[in-house]
Amino acid sequence: MSGFQRAVPRAAGRPATRRGGSGVHTDGWWPVLFVAPLLIGVAAFYLWPIVQTFWFSFTTFGVFGGQTFSGVANYVALVQDPEFYTSLGNTLIYTAIVLLGVPLAVWLAALLNTPGLRFASFYRVLFFLPYIAMPTAVALVWRLIFNGDYGVLNWFLSLVGLPGPYWVSTPGFAILAVSIVGLWSSLGFSMIVLAAGLKAIPPELYEAAELDGASPARRFRSVTVPLLTPTIFFVTVVTVISSFQLFDLLYAIMGPRNPAMPSSMSLVFYFFQAGFVDNQQGFAAAIAMAIFALIGLVTLVQFRLQRRWVADV
Amino acid sequence: MSSAVSTRSAAAVRTRTPATRSRRRPRHAVAHVVLGVGGFLMAFPFLWQIIMSLSTNSQVRSVVPTFWPGTLQWHNYVDVFAQLPFLPQLGVSVTITVIRTVAQIVLCTLAGYAFARMRFRGRNLLLGLVLSILLVPSQVYLLSQYQIVQSLGWLNTIPGIVAPGLFSAFGTFLMRTAFMNLPNELEEAARIDGANPWQIFTRVMMPLVRSNISVLAITTVLFSWNELLWPLVVTTYANLQPLAAGLATLSGSVTVDYPIIMAASLMATAPVLIAFILLQRRVIDGIASSGLK
Amino acid sequence: MPRTTSHPVTRRALVGLAGAATAGLLLAGCSSPGGSGGAPSGDYTAAPKDLKASITYALWDQTQVKAIQANLAGFKKEYPNISVNVDVTPYDTYFTKLQTEASSNTMPDLFWLNGPNFQLYADNGKVEPITGEIKAGAIDPKNYPSALVDLYTANGVHYGVPKDFDTIGLWYNKALFAKAGVAVPTSDWTWDDLTTAATTISSKLKGQGIYGVAAGMDGQTTYYDTIFQAGGNVISADGKKSEYASDATKKGIVFWRDLIASKGSPSVKQLTDTPADQWFVSGKAAMLIGGDWGRSEIAAAPIAKDVQVAPLPKGEQKATVIHGVSNVVAAGSRNKQAAQALQVYLASKAAQQQQGDMGAVIPAFNGTQDSFAKSMPGVDLQVFLDELAYAKPLPVSKNTAAWNALEAKYLPGVFAGTSPVDSTLEQLQTEMTAALAKG
Repeated sequence: MSGFQRAVPRAAGRPATRRGGSGVHTDGWWPVLFVAPLLIGVAAFYLWPIVQTFWFSFTTFGVFGGQTFSGVANYVALVQDPEFYTSLGNTLIYTAIVLLGVPLAVWLAALLNTPGLRFASFYRVLFFLPYIAMPTAVALVWRLIFNGDYGVLNWFLSLVGLPGPYWVSTPGFAILAVSIVGLWSSLGFSMIVLAAGLKAIPPELYEAAELDGASPARRFRSVTVPLLTPTIFFVTVVTVISSFQLFDLLYAIMGPRNPAMPSSMSLVFYFFQAGFVDNQQGFAAAIAMAIFALIGLVTLVQFRLQRRWVADV
Repeated sequence: MSSAVSTRSAAAVRTRTPATRSRRRPRHAVAHVVLGVGGFLMAFPFLWQIIMSLSTNSQVRSVVPTFWPGTLQWHNYVDVFAQLPFLPQLGVSVTITVIRTVAQIVLCTLAGYAFARMRFRGRNLLLGLVLSILLVPSQVYLLSQYQIVQSLGWLNTIPGIVAPGLFSAFGTFLMRTAFMNLPNELEEAARIDGANPWQIFTRVMMPLVRSNISVLAITTVLFSWNELLWPLVVTTYANLQPLAAGLATLSGSVTVDYPIIMAASLMATAPVLIAFILLQRRVIDGIASSGLK
Repeated sequence: MPRTTSHPVTRRALVGLAGAATAGLLLAGCSSPGGSGGAPSGDYTAAPKDLKASITYALWDQTQVKAIQANLAGFKKEYPNISVNVDVTPYDTYFTKLQTEASSNTMPDLFWLNGPNFQLYADNGKVEPITGEIKAGAIDPKNYPSALVDLYTANGVHYGVPKDFDTIGLWYNKALFAKAGVAVPTSDWTWDDLTTAATTISSKLKGQGIYGVAAGMDGQTTYYDTIFQAGGNVISADGKKSEYASDATKKGIVFWRDLIASKGSPSVKQLTDTPADQWFVSGKAAMLIGGDWGRSEIAAAPIAKDVQVAPLPKGEQKATVIHGVSNVVAAGSRNKQAAQALQVYLASKAAQQQQGDMGAVIPAFNGTQDSFAKSMPGVDLQVFLDELAYAKPLPVSKNTAAWNALEAKYLPGVFAGTSPVDSTLEQLQTEMTAALAKG
């Protein structure tokens, strides 16, 4: 891979290194004009509530208000609560499985990008359908697919002689089932973003590689993947962030009063339970802050690591 | 469709060489098998949903799945109209979606460009702050946003419904990534020609990220079209609710008529699907005509 | 409709309730209990007929809107200048929205409230008492089932009267009983009769995947009923303690564990994958323990012609859970007089009779239920009305959802036979009592 990558001329329409590449100039007040409209809205509608939540995480609440400062008590309770670790574990499992969709999406997007491939638009629509579909309606269909007695999935498994579990109501399998749906619904999104990235790769590079006698597989590994890394990075970061927010899908697939729920809950589900069900809004705020810190940390690490594998950033 | 195909086949012709022609057919066969089977698996729940929308409730609720309903219940689609102010709600959906999509494209592209290619103090900090809003459960925002909208007197208004959704951290990140991928040369050349940053942005850089703008447009349209909780909370009049919210009210708390819900959700999805089919051509064609040759 | 329990997929109560959490999260800095629009006073003066106002009436069930619009047409005749906007919010988000509004003093003037959520709103001064209406003779609580009047009474103060009610019955499929050669349920049935019939049917019709009985495995339709039938309680009379580990209550829980172990019922997992009503309407369960609200789905199912209904079987005593929704006026309403006028109108015999005649619900006003009883020809729906004699209100507290979550956490394991009975119920009782103390 690396050998061929070196052979690809960097200057072929791709960004040169940005850092220090363009001499000295200042943009003066222009950045303010560009950024301010967004920042004002973000600050008012989003950052302020986060600041409030941060403060609430150090308080104890009455149901309809009246908070008293309670120091780090909520955080102490949080790290001592086994459900926190259960939900963290489930969230990580879910995230890991949905992340498997990223390499899959790269491969499928590259296949779709094959020059001269017929029906490409049609395939693209097929793969994008899950992303468009309304979650609540589709959850019902998935429950039928996962049904332990009469489900389509278990019927297929029985054809190859495998006994299928009660997917959505067995601890362990339930989070797997939810992850499958998560993977299914996010694949189309990743593919469409990657498709835009692929289109930015100049065809000349493929021509050069082809002239060098590189096989399709080698062209994929040596041209497509390296030049797509900024987009892959973006998709990965977004996938991790959205996977950590798992809630609606989990609820829609599993339903209420599912005996497997206590062992299958996600962090955000745990947050909701604490916030309303137990009316411990201060504690819920602490969970929200923990989620904030966890995804923030993971994302920060991703940004740090990107220098090692993302081209030209 | 035809222009997309012709662009691609032009590219194919250009790259076709004797050495690869013999290999092309089998490789495409693999692609067709993978994409065909994969595509079917992806589409299967959706297709089943279509079938359900044409079934009776008893068939949908049958323990042993009914794959084909026999008589197709087309009236399910008509029934949706009977229960909802469908056209006013469609109007609201279109209005809020257009406003948000335009706003996000403008705001996210501007900010994304600045974060990617401008130099200023606190750039990384500000970017971090913008991205940080993606890191908490989204419902954390509900009450604060409601009270802001209330204090502006925007409850039960279009501005109230659209306001928080005008600002997108995701879109900003998307456009930043897009701008970072562009070469420096064009920008430098324009700068030497005396263009100011606004001119560089609008005339040189914007056209280069059109396919990414299309992606942003698709995701914004989808978000706006399907959003449920917020419009339901800030509106109390059915006529002012977007379609997705209106459809959600169809599920009675006891008797749930699943085929109607399936039909309704498909009807609500259809415009987005059409928008996607139209926009995906832009995603595909965007770069081809962008001068990035 | 007056149900409190949730159906997988369709009734994502917890989402709605949970969303409310978030609303509450940010509440503190923003409002004080009671709101600025006016503290609850219980004052009432009949609205003048020419009162001009525009009010919002919030509810969660689209299927009842038609009957409600009919009511509103009648109301319009009495108060031509009061316009009413009906705000339908799906149950999933209803309480999220309500709590957001309660925190921002924008509550709907008149709105539906159910048992589990009532005390939370009443105790925090969000709901206007109806003491004034009662004093003026505009509403008389004696006209409604007393169990439900109690449900909407807190600390001796009345806040609303029920608009409708639901009880639980034993739906059965005559054809499947005949096929298995088992005698159909009677009103004298005991727990043993139910268990024996269920296991016999399950074993005889096993080849077709048919079970004897299916139940929702939730409180309202399943274990609260058997707890009451066993003479037990969920919450102590003073509302302070859980009684899950008491002998009688334990019996009501173990009944289901034994029934599932005997294969008379599908397993907990099966009932999670496929809800009880689906087993029944698909002809895969001979009996369904469920509410009267099931009738529209059952009437539309292929098995409809074989369906009949009986009262719940007797344990130590006869019992069923009763629940109903109430119309309540927001304490902060700026149109309190108009809202109360509508509240009074909707509680009237004429309005409730109309509700019943249009088939939406079982109306709560005594003597208006005839239409309901006759709404499924050949099926003895009177059963659900006769059960009023021994109906017990749904157990609720100020923080119902908190201990409902504990039940959902501990009980499925007991039913499935995977958790030990005694220690699990002890644990549930301890945690639930702690939750009640916090409420």
